[in-house]
Amino acid sequence: MTATTADLSRIAVRSSRFGDIGAILLTILTIICAVVWFFPLYWALVTSFKYENDVLSKSFSLLPEHPTLTAYIYMLTHSRLLTWYLNSTIVAVSTTVLVVLMAACCGYAISQLRFPGRKLLWWLILASFMVPVPALIVNHFIIIAGVQLLNTYPGVVLPQMIAPVTIIIYKQFFDSVPRDFREAAVMDGASEFQLLFRIFLPMNWGVTTALAIVTFIGAWNTFLWPFLATKTEDMMTVTVGIVAVQDAFGVYYAKLLAGAVLAGLPVATAYLIFQRRVTQAITLSAGIKG
Amino acid sequence: MQSTWKKLLLSAALVVATAAGASAKETVVWWDFLGGGDGVRMKKLIEDFNAEHKDSIEIQATTLDWGVPFYTKVQTSAAVGEGPDVMTYHASRIPLAVSQGVLAEITPDDMKIMGLSEASFASAPWSAVHVDGKQYAVPFDTHPIVLYYNKDKLAAAGLIGDNGLPKDLNGVDNFKAALKKLKDGGSKWGISTVTADGSFSFRTIYSLLCQQGGSIGSDGHWLEGDNADKLAKAVQVISDWVSNGYNPSYTDYPTTVALFTSGDAAMMINGVWEVPTMTDLAKQGKLFNWGAIELPVFFDKPCTYSDSHSFAIPNNAGKPQTPEKHAAVLEVIKWMEGHSLFWATAGHIPANKAVTDSAEYKAMQPQATYATLAANMIYDPKSKFAGVASPLFDAAGNAFTAAINGETSPADAVADMKATLNALK
Amino acid sequence: MLKSRRNEILTAAVLVAPFVAIYGWLFIYPTLQMVQLSLTDAPLIGAGNWIGSENYAQLLSDKIFHTAVWNTSYFVIMTVIPGTAVALAIALMVSRLRGWAQSIILAAFFLPYVLPVTVVYVIWDWMLNVQYGVLQHLITPIMGQPVNVWRRLPWLLPMTALITVWWTNGLSILLFLAGLRNIPQEIYEAAQLDGATRWQVFRRITWPLIWPVTVLCLTIQLILQMKIFDQVYLFSMGGRTQATMVLVQYIFDQAFVHNKGGYAATIAVALFVIVIAFSVLQFQALRARSAQ
Repeated sequence: MTATTADLSRIAVRSSRFGDIGAILLTILTIICAVVWFFPLYWALVTSFKYENDVLSKSFSLLPEHPTLTAYIYMLTHSRLLTWYLNSTIVAVSTTVLVVLMAACCGYAISQLRFPGRKLLWWLILASFMVPVPALIVNHFIIIAGVQLLNTYPGVVLPQMIAPVTIIIYKQFFDSVPRDFREAAVMDGASEFQLLFRIFLPMNWGVTTALAIVTFIGAWNTFLWPFLATKTEDMMTVTVGIVAVQDAFGVYYAKLLAGAVLAGLPVATAYLIFQRRVTQAITLSAGIKG
Repeated sequence: MQSTWKKLLLSAALVVATAAGASAKETVVWWDFLGGGDGVRMKKLIEDFNAEHKDSIEIQATTLDWGVPFYTKVQTSAAVGEGPDVMTYHASRIPLAVSQGVLAEITPDDMKIMGLSEASFASAPWSAVHVDGKQYAVPFDTHPIVLYYNKDKLAAAGLIGDNGLPKDLNGVDNFKAALKKLKDGGSKWGISTVTADGSFSFRTIYSLLCQQGGSIGSDGHWLEGDNADKLAKAVQVISDWVSNGYNPSYTDYPTTVALFTSGDAAMMINGVWEVPTMTDLAKQGKLFNWGAIELPVFFDKPCTYSDSHSFAIPNNAGKPQTPEKHAAVLEVIKWMEGHSLFWATAGHIPANKAVTDSAEYKAMQPQATYATLAANMIYDPKSKFAGVASPLFDAAGNAFTAAINGETSPADAVADMKATLNALK
Repeated sequence: MLKSRRNEILTAAVLVAPFVAIYGWLFIYPTLQMVQLSLTDAPLIGAGNWIGSENYAQLLSDKIFHTAVWNTSYFVIMTVIPGTAVALAIALMVSRLRGWAQSIILAAFFLPYVLPVTVVYVIWDWMLNVQYGVLQHLITPIMGQPVNVWRRLPWLLPMTALITVWWTNGLSILLFLAGLRNIPQEIYEAAQLDGATRWQVFRRITWPLIWPVTVLCLTIQLILQMKIFDQVYLFSMGGRTQATMVLVQYIFDQAFVHNKGGYAATIAVALFVIVIAFSVLQFQALRARSAQ
């Protein structure tokens, strides 16, 4: 379809005029939606900085009238929040290190090495996607209780080490490495371990970082298993602690929300700092190169 | 925060000390469900105990969520031998616990070591901790529900008598009229009671059933005769309050308390354990003139629902307590019993007779005002289906929440409940 | 040659051993144990007696199980389709932005996704508090009075679904963003030249090209929400749990609250079968679509 220059410029003007107003409106709408979406988090912050009396006040205001840190100080000094932070950190870091290490090794072997049972293992890993892990909680409890690991760090970490997605991503990543790298290194007499840790992994630390961050966030946030596996306050993770322990005194909403803010703060900060990596990891997990 | 390290060090020290034959420090793992005002008092007691027993015994306490979460944790942990060394337990639930094999027996020898016996305790809690003649817990307190009131608001509505206590509250219609007076006088709510949770309203409803001379029955014979009607009448009282706008609907426990303390509700029916919440707020100058009295007589006679906290030792499968641990646990219980006067500041009525007979206890307010209800208390039926977090508790929750808030009629709710209960086996 | 082949197998064995050990012990074994448990009347801990398919027979006539299946389906429908639609809309809006503006706006939408469920629970429980929650200011004008959404049966699941969409939308948004980025700009430019309206561009170009991602999002969310537990458990705590029960919650309830390990395993097997059936269906549907 031919168009004269005049036609083109008319169309361009028409669409740009329409486009301009529409574009501005859309952008405004986007901002409004983002603000509304963020409001719950904002409101949690506002409430946490209030005195308990102000929390119950009838008037609605976007900012606390008398901002205060009392709720936070109470949570940090009167509850086991710091212990829970420690537990969450230990559990999340252990899970992350172990999972990433295990997945890299396993993904590498499946990708680069030939061994009997390779296809079966790969198929099992793919199939495990479909299995609802929450359905296994009863048996996990029985097994972990059977080895006396309830209410211990290993007991909390172990069932969380089932991470087929991480292996799949590593395998796909290793698959994408050109074969010449491997052949050259093998010629030079490198062992598989050297290949994995000195060549393949360093080729893209981004993938490992991304997977580590996402695994960390997942381990920090998980609720059901740590909830079942811990019994005493001093072993709970922060995710479990803020709901499984009663520490209320009288009206306690500001303290409760301060606790929630503190519980979510580390992972929120991790996301905000490593935004790109997290995005990358998530899209990788879903099988699309972001 | 370093408790994990402390535990490790402690265990190491224990091993070394035991090997050396020296007396080591026993740790007693303690679980309770006490949050709120009385939880603060209990924490103080534990602190004091640990300070006094610095070299011999240390209590490591965990406070879990009240109700089903607590009892579920106890059950599953005891089944794998990982329960605590001592725990608080509701007396109402002891028959259920015994049927599950969760509790270890407290022997007469144990009682002798602690210097306690039947004579030490009030009769109601004493009998509540016994099943088939065996004792399974040591009573600590009794906690009924009471009527809290905002003295200023009631006085303004002409509801305070010459003795400074509320008047004109006896009788269902009188009480409703009083609620109306309070509402007309400017109170947002005449009364706040928990309406989001039928298993909590059960306490009030159960009291009202008893006030009519009714009874809930027992295994296989639930709500026989006209008891079902009486129960429906009891439920009707509260659903009327809600439908008339005197009592907020679907209101949960913390909000109920907040409504009273903020002055929005002129009265509140709640457990005695909120007394410390009130006294602490009053001390900070943040509360109006308040009081607490025995539940009014809505029907024919006074009657108030009550339950008891007791100390129990879980039956940890495959891991019976060592003699040293057992001795430490008994010491803990004995000490707590000896300090139940302080526990009385948490609002609870100590089970220990020596304490309730003492002059100091008799001088406490508002405890002294509502102490009269001790003669009119009624407990949950003694059944393995009853008690906190039991099938009866569940049935109440499912049936009454709907009825109180007007979703179903009280008669239907009671019929539902009767069917559920009679189907239990 | 033989030796290096043996070395390869040995090395592979060492590399996969940790994973295989964990996988076998905490995945394969529990799955088998679960099936075995479902054929007994065992309590949570301890042995039970063999009762064959009695548990399954009981399951078929179990009213609460039917409620759980119904509630889970209801919940899935309320989260998956609206959630995906909302995510697509947001992704379309965000993809128009560039640079730090996009980062900030995207962060606002994505931040909830990185929070633990308990934090989400605390925040929303407070916002919807029947007497003091800020959202009651919105509900009261519509309903005439504040509503305790956690205790009103018709409200609990929809509200939990809405909160779940708010919480988990970030994942779908990211996927859509990546998919949108994969559509070549030239197609859009050509359409603009042809004078197409925004709506036509969306319907004729974006929607068909983004369809694989849409299907992916739908199916990821489907499988995810079928396993729902945390939010429903937390929000319905202390309420009328029987009426609002979902499948994983019923497993938990039977095993840990009622101490019926065997029966809980039966429910778990049922859930297993349902999820795998849907996953296979999804896989076939995806394959059929991409074959077109």
